[in-house]
Amino acid sequence: MLLVVTYSRAARGTLRNVCRTHEGSVVRRFGRAALLAETEFAAFQALRLREKHGEDVQIERTRPFNEFETVDAEVREAARAYENRERPSVPYSNFAAGTDFPDPERLRERDLSR
Amino acid sequence: MSDRLTVRVGDERRRGRAVDCSDLSPAADRVVAAVRDETADRSDSAPLSVTCPTAGPVHDHVGLVSPSMTLRTRTALADVDVPAAPDLERARRRLAGTESAVDECRERVATLRGRIQARREDGRETTGLEGELAEATAELSEHETERAAAREALSMARREARASRDARERRRRLEDRLANLKRTARDHLVEAVRDRYAAAVTAAPGEARPADDGSPADADPFAVDDVTAALAVARVADVRAPVVLACDRFADPAAAAAWLDAPVIRVSPSA
Repeated sequence: MLLVVTYSRAARGTLRNVCRTHEGSVVRRFGRAALLAETEFAAFQALRLREKHGEDVQIERTRPFNEFETVDAEVREAARAYENRERPSVPYSNFAAGTDFPDPERLRERDLSR
Repeated sequence: MSDRLTVRVGDERRRGRAVDCSDLSPAADRVVAAVRDETADRSDSAPLSVTCPTAGPVHDHVGLVSPSMTLRTRTALADVDVPAAPDLERARRRLAGTESAVDECRERVATLRGRIQARREDGRETTGLEGELAEATAELSEHETERAAAREALSMARREARASRDARERRRRLEDRLANLKRTARDHLVEAVRDRYAAAVTAAPGEARPADDGSPADADPFAVDDVTAALAVARVADVRAPVVLACDRFADPAAAAAWLDAPVIRVSPSA
């Protein structure tokens, strides 16, 4: 999908108008941002916005997140175990220390697989 | 970073930190456009071009100074601290070009390898093809190097863009706050005269038509046609300069002056 983020009142106003006029191309609207469908028409609208408002408009392309292909099982298991921990005040680094759960530094260093 | 610039008008080319073009008399708005447009045609065939650092947000306000300008000073000052965005477009374009070059080259290398393999199996000569393969492989590694550089350049530009976006975000929040405060202040001022205005709307001569949204006039004094609203505001206000009336709500100018409690100049209703 296309993520369009605006950085000025004017650009936000135009984004709102675009979303209102072309509802079919809008997947979800947030205050000053919107997710647009992955079509050339949506790209056309996003580019039109940037043409009008320059760098006050940021366009990014997102892709679906599937935790079963994107991260190893240990990351999913660590998240589940940490959220179900007995003592809520334990930070993750302490929680993971001395266990098989990945330590946060290692997680930071590893990029997601495609 | 150098702030020297080059201005070219026709065949005349001038460089420096301060360039006088008054004798060449290019139109001011075209010069500003040439400064701001990074993608402008800078080849010699373009009638006018300016090579210079990228214009930042504040340039939109004070990049052209002329007697006929209108300046929103506070808005301009709000842009002073917004760093110019890096040239992301050029970085994206460069990377997109290298990606396709690498793909094409890789395909060529694979094809050549396949052909060499096939010839070997047939027991045929492969020297010529091997030369081609070596060439293609060298080219591929060149393109891959260029792609790595283009990727690095883009991710650096993206990092730089963050600072600019943070500043834009701060500015946008301030603008929002300013607009909210203005709205609150206006609401407060309106509230002070609201009853007098509503009474004037009710007392207004002629038929007060509901505004376009169809809501009844007595429910909301703001939902009336603009002529009625304008007359009501003028009646509530202390107007000293004559009001020019181009409407036929009053029997005669004297009646209008009495109702509005203001001097009136009547003209025939405009179309």
